[in-house]
Amino acid sequence: MPLLRDADRENLRKELDQLQTPVRLVFFTQALDCEYCGLTKQVLEEIVGLSDQVQLKEYNFAIDKDAVAQYHIARVPAIAVTRVEQPKLLVTGNEQPRERDYGIRYYGVPAGFEFAALIGDILDVSKGDSGLSAQSKSALAQLKDPLHLQVFTTPT
Amino acid sequence: MAMENELITADAVEASEYPELAERYQVYGVPLTIANDKARIEGGMPEPMFIEKILQGIGVKDER
Repeated sequence: MPLLRDADRENLRKELDQLQTPVRLVFFTQALDCEYCGLTKQVLEEIVGLSDQVQLKEYNFAIDKDAVAQYHIARVPAIAVTRVEQPKLLVTGNEQPRERDYGIRYYGVPAGFEFAALIGDILDVSKGDSGLSAQSKSALAQLKDPLHLQVFTTPT
Repeated sequence: MAMENELITADAVEASEYPELAERYQVYGVPLTIANDKARIEGGMPEPMFIEKILQGIGVKDER
């Protein structure tokens, strides 16, 4: 049974229709001892099914150690939201799209507030624009040391 | 925010699914933002105030 209601699905499809640059949802899961991995996958599959511009790439947290290290994944279920950029100049014709990782991660089922936030991030990442004010952007651009933010939420 | 600087990473964490994290960071209300494991910003607020609190919390002077 689908998780999204028909009306929500149609609204979401319209929003995702705006996407000009593809977004990849890099999903980390594992078969055992992950209560919410299955539900997370179902949510992601429903989103991906609404737009050709949203891709799903799945890794196994227990097996795909290189990917876990590359994306700095701490636990499952996890989702990294990345931008798939086409090379600007085609020289050989064999250039591969480049994945741009902004460091955006979701841990847990993206439901409720997190679902809305995830959709917002997909739209922003595709545009390549955070939507923050010019003042905020300039303040953040001046940071010289790593900043790790963890935002805790609950579904309702 | 993570889009604006490669040094910034942002995790959205579903608190009820990770009780050990919720306990470690003493998450009693949401949203709760933890910056660099030390600064706590509780609740939602307008964007300029949020960024100011984060920068203050990690000891960076906001020179806007």
